[in-house]
Amino acid sequence: MPNYQRQRVSGIVILALALMWLDSHAPWLQSVRYMTGYLLAPAQQVALVPSVLGNWFGESSASRQELTNENKQLTARNLVLELRAQRLAALEAENIELRELLSASEQVDDRVLVTAVVAVDPDPFSQQILINKGGEDGVFIGQPVLDAYGLLGQVIDVMPYSARVLMIADSNHAIPVQVNRNGVRAIAVGTGALNELELIYVPNTADIVPGDLLVSSGLGGRYPRGYPVATVNKVENIPGKSFAAVTAEPSAHLDRSRHLLLVFSHGSGQVPPADLWQSAE
Amino acid sequence: MNIRAVILVAVGLFLAFVLEHLPMPDLLLWLQPAWVLLLVTLLVMHAPHTFGLWLAIPLGLMLDVEHNSLLGMHVLTLAVHIFILQLLYRRMAMFNFLQQTAVVFLLVVLQQLLTYWAVALVSENSGPVSLWIPSLSSALVWPWVYALTHMALARLHLS
Repeated sequence: MPNYQRQRVSGIVILALALMWLDSHAPWLQSVRYMTGYLLAPAQQVALVPSVLGNWFGESSASRQELTNENKQLTARNLVLELRAQRLAALEAENIELRELLSASEQVDDRVLVTAVVAVDPDPFSQQILINKGGEDGVFIGQPVLDAYGLLGQVIDVMPYSARVLMIADSNHAIPVQVNRNGVRAIAVGTGALNELELIYVPNTADIVPGDLLVSSGLGGRYPRGYPVATVNKVENIPGKSFAAVTAEPSAHLDRSRHLLLVFSHGSGQVPPADLWQSAE
Repeated sequence: MNIRAVILVAVGLFLAFVLEHLPMPDLLLWLQPAWVLLLVTLLVMHAPHTFGLWLAIPLGLMLDVEHNSLLGMHVLTLAVHIFILQLLYRRMAMFNFLQQTAVVFLLVVLQQLLTYWAVALVSENSGPVSLWIPSLSSALVWPWVYALTHMALARLHLS
């Protein structure tokens, strides 16, 4: 083994370590990641062909009876939703009027983009999924993701034609919430289990009872306000401890939803600057 | 290096990345062999003067994006992998398939171990991982991949 070979391998190892350090401390390697995503895109598209074909086959081989039933259900549901939408229009108009009276900023309806889940991260210690919309569709890092039942998570990595979503149940994830009934604020932290969130720093005296709906409070600046996040299922006051142990079950179907919504709401998904706390002092 | 060899390498790379991304049921995902690593092993064994350490940089970056790991992590593991292969490739060519399988198993274990250390260094939450399962499946797949490549090379008169 010639000597220069050893120098070369140490050179690459040092380069790799420097890259890793940079990637964990500076944001500007994000563009390298994005560009490499273009190289990977064809292989990823081809890899998804079997599952796409499977879906298509499943859909096209559904029986006439099933389709009729599904159609009936959807029509009924559509009617109910339209009814609610009519009421919503009136309520929204009234809300805007009231806000104008309060001279608060007008809340515009959020624009959404529909996407499908294409893969799930196999690592049991991280709750991440891959979706089939990416930077080319306007997806950005920090974008909130919903399913039909509530908030599901946020985008943490964008590739040209796909993106990675961190779910609210991941143990590295926290979301500011408030109780829909009375506005009590709390922070819901993922536990790593798909069906459980934990509310932290809830005083023993706080008015939270099982069954309460928790909605996003929008205070972090990352998620839009007012989307359902979870339902409280257990409140435990431990004598001698200053905080209550509160667990909640996510409203979104984290393990079942196939179609998700990406929200483009005004001001959401903004990452607070890292020196926010220093500048506040 | 002629045009057919270039096409073969390109197709091989493409296939390896397709297989690496292939969605699978949860249980099988643990068993997914390290396809790109196997391909690199093949390339270095067959053309050690063309495919050297430089291969680690582009392929490592692509693997990092594929697995959403820190940029540079797979560059590191691939560089170490290729370095060891360059020490070993003459002997590997003489080995029978069982010995080769054992070497591939150890190499993939080493790569997994390096990845695990890097993850543990950078982030706090490092759960227990089944390091040896992908290594085992990679080792089991290796003889077939090796035989297939030999056939392809013989068919294309490249060996």
